[in-house]
Amino acid sequence: MDRKQILDKLKQILSFSFGESSELLDKCTEESDLVTDLGLNSVGMLFMVISIEEAFQVSFSNVNFSDFRTVGDVIDFIEANRK
Amino acid sequence: MKYVIDRVFERYAEPETIARIVDYTDMTQMWRSCVKQYSDLPAIDDGKVYTYGELDALAAGVRGILAGAKVEKGTRVGIFMPNSVQFVYSFIGCTTYGATAVLIPPQLDEMTLFGFSMKYALDTILTVDAMMGKTGVLMAKRPGFRLLNVSAGSDTTAPDCECDPDSPCAIMFTGGTTGQSKGVILSHRAVMRGTKNGCYGFNGIFNQRNFIILPMTHVFGLVRNTLTSLYTGSVLHVCRDNKEMFKEIAMFRPTVLVLVPALAEMALNISRQFGKNMLGPDCRYIICGAASVPPYLVREWKKLGVTLFPGYGLTESANLVSGNPDCLEHPDSVGYIYDGMEVKVVDGELWLKGPNMLLGYASEPEEEKRAFSDGWFRTGDLVRFDEDGRLYITGRIKEIIVLSNGENISPAELETKFSEIDCIQDCLVYSKVIDGREYLTLEVLPRPAVIAAVPEAEREAFIREQIGKVNATLPSHKQINRIVIRTSDFKRSPSMKILRKQD
Repeated sequence: MDRKQILDKLKQILSFSFGESSELLDKCTEESDLVTDLGLNSVGMLFMVISIEEAFQVSFSNVNFSDFRTVGDVIDFIEANRK
Repeated sequence: MKYVIDRVFERYAEPETIARIVDYTDMTQMWRSCVKQYSDLPAIDDGKVYTYGELDALAAGVRGILAGAKVEKGTRVGIFMPNSVQFVYSFIGCTTYGATAVLIPPQLDEMTLFGFSMKYALDTILTVDAMMGKTGVLMAKRPGFRLLNVSAGSDTTAPDCECDPDSPCAIMFTGGTTGQSKGVILSHRAVMRGTKNGCYGFNGIFNQRNFIILPMTHVFGLVRNTLTSLYTGSVLHVCRDNKEMFKEIAMFRPTVLVLVPALAEMALNISRQFGKNMLGPDCRYIICGAASVPPYLVREWKKLGVTLFPGYGLTESANLVSGNPDCLEHPDSVGYIYDGMEVKVVDGELWLKGPNMLLGYASEPEEEKRAFSDGWFRTGDLVRFDEDGRLYITGRIKEIIVLSNGENISPAELETKFSEIDCIQDCLVYSKVIDGREYLTLEVLPRPAVIAAVPEAEREAFIREQIGKVNATLPSHKQINRIVIRTSDFKRSPSMKILRKQD
């Protein structure tokens, strides 16, 4: 799975939170800031992390939400930790 | 009209259950009774299981630490730790020692902790290893401060003592939707009544498996989630990592969850995404409050076999004022007022008296003057009751919009109305002047799970049509005349409330 595919799958996960037609999903790139561009709040972050764990079989056990600023940071983490 | 219906909650449980729900007037009385009844049963599970008897021994150790540090009865003692078994036995130890537990939010930074200790005249704090890194400034600036670490346990113990029911048991902090954080002083009687109120609403409250993800420093987390769990001989699983909550739920299989609406909705969305109820096969009830509960959540959770009970409460009322056992028939109500309260409605505002009400505010005399009238606590919430005595929250008194034509509009009342539309997840009503004309504006965040079923090109029209239908039912001066549809979430406070000021 390359970065583009991971990004597409992330968008699919976020669509449960944003709605499929959301302009936010169209604008979502690796550079998007999770908080200021995508508007994720603490519960939104929790939703994303839990969904990613299930979808990508990675564990976020030893990291903090504050470690991730952009979508690219999340993709880096997924690439480095996928089993 | 009669606002408080005597013993109304007794209709919702078997007489044997009701007979076991008794009044305690102080923490010591309640805790002695818990230990006597449940000594060998599991009380707390944080990965390791502690019985009621073991918790009692640990609480006696905390009293030993306080006695060893020569802390006098009646002293304010800070509890500065994250959700943990240590928090629970520190709270029990502190209050049964006769000290007042000051519940310090664990997210405070070093400087704020120091300022907090000054503002609330604290000279003693109970803490744990994990928090020691945040105590440097405090200890540097206040030599002689009693910083007592309970992590290592204690070789000595001290006996409990009976407490005056009207003496302060705990000080808790509330942000509210307006203004500054306030310290609310709650008596032993108030905390005990709040704990007891949590026992009503459904059958089988005793010996449950409870799960806590809310902060124990918050009234909903402490009183309904933790103390009611202990009162009922239940076992409480302390979630150690929010990111792992569904894994911990899958292992522990709770029967009851206490959640704020944002978490209840997140759990619903996750359940949909994975195609199974993520609260596990044994969860039958969600107790939901601390913010307005959309009827949508009641209906959708029911489809997954879980009954979600909306309730209404305040930090100032030691948690629950009302609870809604008839939630399936009346999902937009916050239910019946609990026994023992006195209620009046003055110009639409709910005023309260009763054994669960606060003694006052700590270090905020002005706030206290504003909050009370003739011994009544003014909630600031606008309400109505139906003919059966069910309570509905219609708005906040402090958030009145006065339109240029002089009409008073309660945005929260309109927001409640529009939130009943399934395709709206959240909304905000405000007045906006554009080109010299004033618009009563409704800004909405659509609910993805609902609008997903509508073809993309038709969504906006669909949402506008749904809003239009509700708008047409309102008196003309309350009808909104501008709609904004959002694509991202509103700005929110740390407790997830939508900020009235979004700019």
